[in-house]
Amino acid sequence: MSPVEEKVKEIVIKIVRKPELDFTPTTTFKDMNADSLDIVQILVALEDAFDIEIIDEEMKEIANMGEFVAYIERKVAARKAA
Amino acid sequence: MSLTGKVALVTGGSRGIGRAISLKLAAGGADVIINYFRRRETAESTAREVEKLGVSAHIIKANVGEPEKIGLMFDEIKAKCGRLDIFINNAASGVARPALELDDKSWDWTMDINARAFLLCVQRAACLMTNGGKIVAISSLGSRLTLPAYTSVGVSKAALEALVRYLAVELAPRGICVNGLAAGGVESESLKLYTRGQEAAAAGAWQTTPAGRMVQGKDVANLVAFLCSDDSEMIRGQIIVIDGGVSLAPIGTAKPS
Ligand SMILES: NC(=O)c1ccc[n+]([C@@H]2O[C@H](COP(=O)([O-])OP(=O)(O)OC[C@H]3O[C@@H](n4cnc5c(N)ncnc54)[C@H](OP(=O)(O)O)[C@@H]3O)[C@@H](O)[C@H]2O)c1
Repeated sequence: MSPVEEKVKEIVIKIVRKPELDFTPTTTFKDMNADSLDIVQILVALEDAFDIEIIDEEMKEIANMGEFVAYIERKVAARKAA
Repeated sequence: MSLTGKVALVTGGSRGIGRAISLKLAAGGADVIINYFRRRETAESTAREVEKLGVSAHIIKANVGEPEKIGLMFDEIKAKCGRLDIFINNAASGVARPALELDDKSWDWTMDINARAFLLCVQRAACLMTNGGKIVAISSLGSRLTLPAYTSVGVSKAALEALVRYLAVELAPRGICVNGLAAGGVESESLKLYTRGQEAAAAGAWQTTPAGRMVQGKDVANLVAFLCSDDSEMIRGQIIVIDGGVSLAPIGTAKPS
């Protein structure tokens, strides 16, 4: 697991309050019963952790945790390159 | 109304009603600090509009639900401006659910952003208001009337309004005026989101005011500007209702002019 993936997993599990969550690339927000507040809190925590900006419209394209982690990794890389 | 040379902070000043307030204060001559939450581009665009009015604009990202972010925001204001004259507590959030479905997380989120933030911001703002100041809190009719799925926000606004009264008295000796306003439905994106799931009649009720039109962001901004002017000096700790009269007439009975 990459450090970014570790962090995403840690934040997601903490915010949805499911320590036993099976966090795999195919897991969806729906699988973990995340409501819109959970998702906002996850995005805010990740923006803070990585000093990135997540665009809500782009999030609409994300289907599962695999895509979510890849998206965050792209944002982190773009910030480092800037 | 002249606010020339004043420094104003508007939380959530980047869009919706907050944007209208930022522009109105700027038109009066105030330099405006625009706080926002997550949408940088929107904040930047409002800042450009503010600058076009010949004053300076500065954007600060901070989730006012987090005390440490409030601290950092005020550290930045202190370093950049050295003082503050006007503080508008406008940012708000909430979880649209009936009371029996509200969990502790939704409650805390809403109360932290809508009520606790006001207290924590005022504690810092008051220290920067060395020549007195004006504080205005933006509330809504939902603090005293019940609206569907509005419990968390309504309760947080009730706390906000109570704080206005306490602060008005406690800060008066420092030359700081504290007031609030309670708006009815304001034509806005957030109202559209809120009424989306409601019956057409209930959703439409917001549009029928005795005044014959819906409240606009600029109506709210005009009232804020008045409360920031010396003309309103003897108004203290009040919550002024701005709703086109809608709360005076039972739903559906108001005849548009
Ligand atoms: N709209 C109505 O019908 C209505 C009626 C009565 C009262 N009000 C009150 O008027 C005020 C403004 O409402 P609005 O409809 O204009 O809101 P809005 O369109 O939803 O805009 C909210 C603003 O607050 C910012 N914000 C949200 N959460 C924040 C947080 N945690 N920390 C800092 N900033 C945050 C947003 O920034 P980002 O864009 O960066 O997220 C945005 O600038 C609120 O106090 C609301 O309760 C509104």
